[in-house]
Amino acid sequence: MRNRVLVVDDAELNREILKEILGQEYQVITAADGVEAIELLGRHHAELAVVLLDLIMPKADGFAVLEEMRKKGWMEKTPVLIISGETSAETEKKCFEYGVSDFIKKPFANDIIKKRVNNIIGLFQYQNELEEKVQKQTLALRKQYSLLQIQAEKLRKSNENIIEILGNVVEYRNVENGQHIRRVKGFTAILAKELMKEYPEYGLDEKKVELIVAASALHDIGKIAIPDKILLKPAKLTPEEFEYMKSHTTRGSEILDNFSHIWDEDYHKTTHEICRYHHERYDGRGYPDGLSGDAIPISAQLVSIADVYDALVSERVYKSAYSKEEAFHMIVSGECGVFSPKLLECFRNTRKQFEELADKYKS
Amino acid sequence: MDVRDCYRILGGDYDEVLARFCNREELARKFLYKFLDDQSYGLLMESLHEQNMEEAFRAAHTLKGVSQNLGFDRLQKSVGELTEALRSGKERPSDALVEQVREDYKTTAEAIQMLRESVSD
Repeated sequence: MRNRVLVVDDAELNREILKEILGQEYQVITAADGVEAIELLGRHHAELAVVLLDLIMPKADGFAVLEEMRKKGWMEKTPVLIISGETSAETEKKCFEYGVSDFIKKPFANDIIKKRVNNIIGLFQYQNELEEKVQKQTLALRKQYSLLQIQAEKLRKSNENIIEILGNVVEYRNVENGQHIRRVKGFTAILAKELMKEYPEYGLDEKKVELIVAASALHDIGKIAIPDKILLKPAKLTPEEFEYMKSHTTRGSEILDNFSHIWDEDYHKTTHEICRYHHERYDGRGYPDGLSGDAIPISAQLVSIADVYDALVSERVYKSAYSKEEAFHMIVSGECGVFSPKLLECFRNTRKQFEELADKYKS
Repeated sequence: MDVRDCYRILGGDYDEVLARFCNREELARKFLYKFLDDQSYGLLMESLHEQNMEEAFRAAHTLKGVSQNLGFDRLQKSVGELTEALRSGKERPSDALVEQVREDYKTTAEAIQMLRESVSD
């Protein structure tokens, strides 16, 4: 509790009058000039309820005291009332700029001074208490926020773990080899980053890109529901077999729907989109739903190019590998799949990165 | 002689002063006596004599403030004018003005002295 009042005035008589007025309610300490005042402030500033300050004094004047208080940051906590005869408007303005609360004019009128001092002390006490409260609350909020962040991070990890576990299932079933999954992730990442940079209209940010890349690992999860005799058939599929094979998109999205309650909505949505729509074509002639244009989710469009490119440059049981040169031209010319012009632009821009990644996994 | 007589002699409105001291005559009396110990008049005259105008300004300013608080209207008027004359810190105030302050101070101090003596009698 601040219960001291500092009176600074070079006339002892004035100090005595103020002491008489305020002495009953407060402990009054006095200084006869600015130097003494600064010295007392240094020792007692935390106990001071108010400073009554004369401006014209020997050694150091009132402005020197204000300057010191401002420098030390005491003006915010301790109100200052200027004791003055008549002051010019300019002087008053300068005082207010320092953050002075008010003026006490001479001659001193006992009860008015008492009221004025009490008012300003009450105001500052209230303000200081409020500030303290806000500070405490801010601290509590900050704690809660950091707790929330830790929880969010845990949740993110858990979401990623689910993707990883499911990815392992796909790999274990020998549906695809692990290399294919990792390469598709890599190609998806290259393309998605380029798209984020070049076409902000898709609303991608680093978090969304990260999610799409992680989710791309599951694009073929539906293949675990395809019988081995079709999935692993070392020859060309019959039309019936091929129709069945195509159902890995819908089967995959259905498998993922079973997980919808255990992970975040955006994880479910992204993996679902990629599984179901990564065989759609931009011209509407893909499967399973025949979506066209940007009705195909952008996540699925990205994985689609990555998947096709990887299929082309890899050797499969039913075909040998195309060269990177051939693969590039087959995609750009529309010979193998139909893609969005914007995505193709990104693909052209990142050709070098695609080829470097293809080489890295080959060796 | 009472406090009211004293104010009549030195030139001031006692009722107003008393009101400011919440009608406590003993307070008015206490601070009147303290005025006799106040150093600012002596410092003012000494500084003027030594041509230290800056110090003279501060002393005049202090004396003015004290006079205001005690309701010495006459002294406050002349010392107020002297304060303004000294504010620039360069020019010497006119001898007439200094003389006026000297006279007003003397009247005031003598009146208070008489009040004090009339009580102790």
